[in-house]
Amino acid sequence: MRYDRKDLPEIADEYVLGLLEPAVQAEVEAAMERDADLRVAVAASRERFLPLDTGLEPAPVAAELWARIEAALPSAQAVPGAVPPTAAPLPSSNDNHPRAWRATALSALVASLLLAVGLTWSLTRTTEPLVIAVLLDGTGEVQAVVEDFGNDTAKVRLLNAFTVPADKTIQVWTLPSREMGPVSLGLVPGSRSAVLDGPSLPKPRRDQLYELTLEQAGGSPTGRPTGPILAKGFAKPPL
Amino acid sequence: MLGVVQAELDELGANLAACARGDRSGLKRIFDGEAGRLLAVAERIVRRRDVAEEVVQEAFLRIWTSAHQYTPDRGSARGWITAIVRNRALNTLRDGRREDLVADDRLEALLDRDQFDRIMASWHRLDQDSRLRDCLGSLDETKRRGILMAYVGGYSHGEIAGRLRIPLGTTKSWIRRGLMALRECMA
Repeated sequence: MRYDRKDLPEIADEYVLGLLEPAVQAEVEAAMERDADLRVAVAASRERFLPLDTGLEPAPVAAELWARIEAALPSAQAVPGAVPPTAAPLPSSNDNHPRAWRATALSALVASLLLAVGLTWSLTRTTEPLVIAVLLDGTGEVQAVVEDFGNDTAKVRLLNAFTVPADKTIQVWTLPSREMGPVSLGLVPGSRSAVLDGPSLPKPRRDQLYELTLEQAGGSPTGRPTGPILAKGFAKPPL
Repeated sequence: MLGVVQAELDELGANLAACARGDRSGLKRIFDGEAGRLLAVAERIVRRRDVAEEVVQEAFLRIWTSAHQYTPDRGSARGWITAIVRNRALNTLRDGRREDLVADDRLEALLDRDQFDRIMASWHRLDQDSRLRDCLGSLDETKRRGILMAYVGGYSHGEIAGRLRIPLGTTKSWIRRGLMALRECMA
């Protein structure tokens, strides 16, 4: 990243206010590591605005928040100046362990069985969904459709082939109300269309949010969406 | 060496140093002292309690793994910790979660007004003798609003332009000039 020394305070301010484009923001963060002047300018800017973040009423802290943080701490002990412990190394792309293949084959088999069951069920059912949500990705492309029957079942049809890494899964969420927050409707087995048996929820409403996120295999560990959003959309009742 | 001495005097700095040594009680002390405030900071940006909790949770993991990088030339320990939470919250917004916060336009408008009041309140809440309060007060209203919407509410240039109903280019240059005036005023 090239910048004039005289622009340092301005870059620092816009960085601290969060006004930079993500790519520029990343460049500033990288430049800060080698440019002491930029580091000092950012520190000065932070201190100027910090009072806005210190005088406010603290929010009540849920008792389990610390437990969740502590449970997620890497177990290895950090040493001063050492590279901090990071997550497990990424599996190599040609991880051809027979066991992994067997697991994949088995889960594919289970997925196709589930799909067969789902299809039979959908061919024989007469109930209509209460709402239908068309889910779009960030570019506005249609990715999936969720039909919520309001009887603890919902059907998700994927309209795009998602690449789901072996250690990940697609999870379906809805937001019945702000108070309840997002609730999981279930996992999409093997990234195929599926019928989900969700929890008992209030009747789905018009404009209720549905979304798909990519979570670690087995689903989000926190019970809330944590991974990137693949698609989302608001529900409409069919006419 | 002076910097090191200052860090020792600063309790938060000492707790960060404990984290860097792998001492979890340091992180717990930071959590006990700061979590409520940091949750409120995150919630002002992401506008949803459960998302704010995730932001703070991720930020504490980050504080733990990056504590060894903290040096006083990066500003106060409190500013450094707050910046980690702010960055996490802003990135969460950029991942597209702003739209998830509300499910219909009316509710959005309602929350926006509510949010706007909260953003302006953050300026009024500053200490009477605070330099930032005076200097923000010396800016004209649109510049002050734009700067507060960005810092306190995590709004982007485009969102500020839309909500203040001024063109994007004008918004960018007003905020830039407002920031410059603020730096001069606080120098």
